[in-house]
Amino acid sequence: MRIETRKLLDKSFSGAGWISVFLMVAALAIILLPIAWRGAGAFVFRATVEHRRMMLELFGVGDPAEVSAETAAAAEARRPIYDMLARFRAELSAMPVADRRRMAGRLAQLENALRDLLGPLPGDPIPVLPRQRYGQTRWDRALKKLETVLFRETWDYSDPTRMGRKVMVPRAEDFKGTSLEPFFADVKMRVADMLRPKLAFYWRFLTDESRDSHFFGGIWPEMLGTIYLTIGAAMFAVPMGIISAVYLTEYAGDDRLTGALRTFIGALAGVPSIVFGLFGLAFFINTMKVSQSKSVLAGSLTLALLILPTIIRASEEAIRAVPAAYKEAALSLGAGKGRTIITVVLPAAMPGILTGIIISMGRAAGETAPIIFTAAVSVGDPLSLLETLSQPTPALPWNVYNMCTEHQKLDELRHVQFGMVLVLVMVVLALNVAAIWLRARISRKLKG
Amino acid sequence: MERARMAVRVGWGALVGAVLLAAGLSRTAAAEDTKIVVDGSTTVGPIAKAFAEHFMQHNPGVKVTVAESGSGNGAKSLINGACDVADMSRFMKSEEFKAAVERGVFPVAHVVALDGLAVIVHPSNPVKELTKAQVADIYMGKITNWKDVGGPDAKIVVVSRDTNSGTYEAFEELVMKKRKMAEGIEYVGSNGAVRQRIQSTPGAIGYVGLGFADETVKALKIDGVEPNRDTVRSGRYPVARPLFMFTNGYPRPGSPVHSFVTLHLTKKGQEMVEGIGFVPVTDYK
Repeated sequence: MRIETRKLLDKSFSGAGWISVFLMVAALAIILLPIAWRGAGAFVFRATVEHRRMMLELFGVGDPAEVSAETAAAAEARRPIYDMLARFRAELSAMPVADRRRMAGRLAQLENALRDLLGPLPGDPIPVLPRQRYGQTRWDRALKKLETVLFRETWDYSDPTRMGRKVMVPRAEDFKGTSLEPFFADVKMRVADMLRPKLAFYWRFLTDESRDSHFFGGIWPEMLGTIYLTIGAAMFAVPMGIISAVYLTEYAGDDRLTGALRTFIGALAGVPSIVFGLFGLAFFINTMKVSQSKSVLAGSLTLALLILPTIIRASEEAIRAVPAAYKEAALSLGAGKGRTIITVVLPAAMPGILTGIIISMGRAAGETAPIIFTAAVSVGDPLSLLETLSQPTPALPWNVYNMCTEHQKLDELRHVQFGMVLVLVMVVLALNVAAIWLRARISRKLKG
Repeated sequence: MERARMAVRVGWGALVGAVLLAAGLSRTAAAEDTKIVVDGSTTVGPIAKAFAEHFMQHNPGVKVTVAESGSGNGAKSLINGACDVADMSRFMKSEEFKAAVERGVFPVAHVVALDGLAVIVHPSNPVKELTKAQVADIYMGKITNWKDVGGPDAKIVVVSRDTNSGTYEAFEELVMKKRKMAEGIEYVGSNGAVRQRIQSTPGAIGYVGLGFADETVKALKIDGVEPNRDTVRSGRYPVARPLFMFTNGYPRPGSPVHSFVTLHLTKKGQEMVEGIGFVPVTDYK
């Protein structure tokens, strides 16, 4: 081969390498940046007076005097709007019957849109569902709802050969010639006064419980559930994993049985996670009855099985990497094998083992399939330590999925979903960074 | 060597002991009236979730958890004793009853709300109504184009719930009359997923519980009747059904489970049912 060709091949190879690294980083950025951006929207957003009122009433957060003053100011700004509605209702009763029926229908639609935006109208009974008790708490959502107050969405089906086209009809046209005609310009003008948006940093998103299935509040039960499950999984998997690794490296002979054991552990690592989930349901809950229903305990045990092979592998590698001289020195000083392992080998291998543990905890935190049948529910209060033995819990990965497929009003709660995704990604990322940091520290230390 | 073996043995022993202890503790914890585990239908889910929140507000000592894994799984959970309340959007089947009774579980049905199965299409679809027979024909694959039912020339994308779903079974019984659905239908796992599929697909048709038919999709009239509160309760809407919560036996009056499954009889409970978009069993106004 000519030297030029070789150089060219060489260059194109490293070029391909760079391109793939670049593509990977770009893909990561494309995935992570929107998550970070939209997830941040759960924490930092422009909050309306409704948000502050809700926080005070449902969570007891905020200065009551300040909030009631602000609520009064907002009510003052809303009064002209409500007065116009009341005047129109009076006008309605004087209309000819046909007009009245048509207008009453439109008015009902308008009132519902207004309830969505501002909360219950004057004279409405206080709704039982918190979601109906307040207007829009976020300014970005409020602006969307404002559109539905100002415009009515209809579809133009005039061309029978194709699907209809969306048409936005200004409601002002619907009420042309009535006293309500100037209402819409007025609402638009006053909306900021009626809702008083202010920038809010809602850090309590992490520590508040959710109210009315995630309409309000934060994700504390999910966070806590994920923490319990992750730590629980590590509690079961770590001792078993390390003991198995010690056995495999220090005690087991190089016979067929050990080979078979290693193969099984390898196979265990390759089993799809949903299989662990079903196994957990069948074995821990239905057969062993570790708990009557789904529970954090059953979920932790299932996750422990899932991460066990990773921990065994990592620990084995770490133990093997301990220089033989350490062991020989200990043995030559008269220590027994057990003592050598406990006082010399394991401490020397511990950093590597820890790295493996942390990485597998990251895996356990992010897994959805194993906990579907063994631990996860869509709604629940945060659990106390004792309750984890018998009760199921919400958990971040499952609730992200559950909200996406199941929630009735997902479109209004995207910020919560992205907030959950962001927190989950951050937790997993933090665990992985911790592992990388640990590894770097160790290798520095080993180099001396 | 011997000592290390011992250490290993002690380690395993401690672990097994911990698991057994945990299992024992959970038994005693479960015996108290401090938790209600609800599992089952995704259609009843929103009602159960609202009830759970309301219930916990008024009974701080009781934890209610709600999972939404489908009516079939709810029934299985109840039969296995893994839940206290099984949400179901269909009645229990005879096999399920049999399995339950064999295990000493005696399911009692509580109807918490009425529901109409809304047949939904993309709002751009000009078709306003279908007959029950037409819907069945669409799901059997006899009608595959919207132009055959008065719409534009577009292929019908048929979306159904999975077979574990109570909504599926109700649809099968009320519309399909046990006739087989066509091959190539999309089966999706929840009401929300059906709605999402319809929202994003102009030619699609699907069916969801009334509470899930919001303004982003268009609910068709069936046999000329629009699905809403009045038509469902009066029985005029042809594809309506009750929504159930099943318990093992009738719960002891005064127990948390009893007050949970009777919440729908209170004014607040009915308001919640209606606020979520379903139809209260009786007229409370």
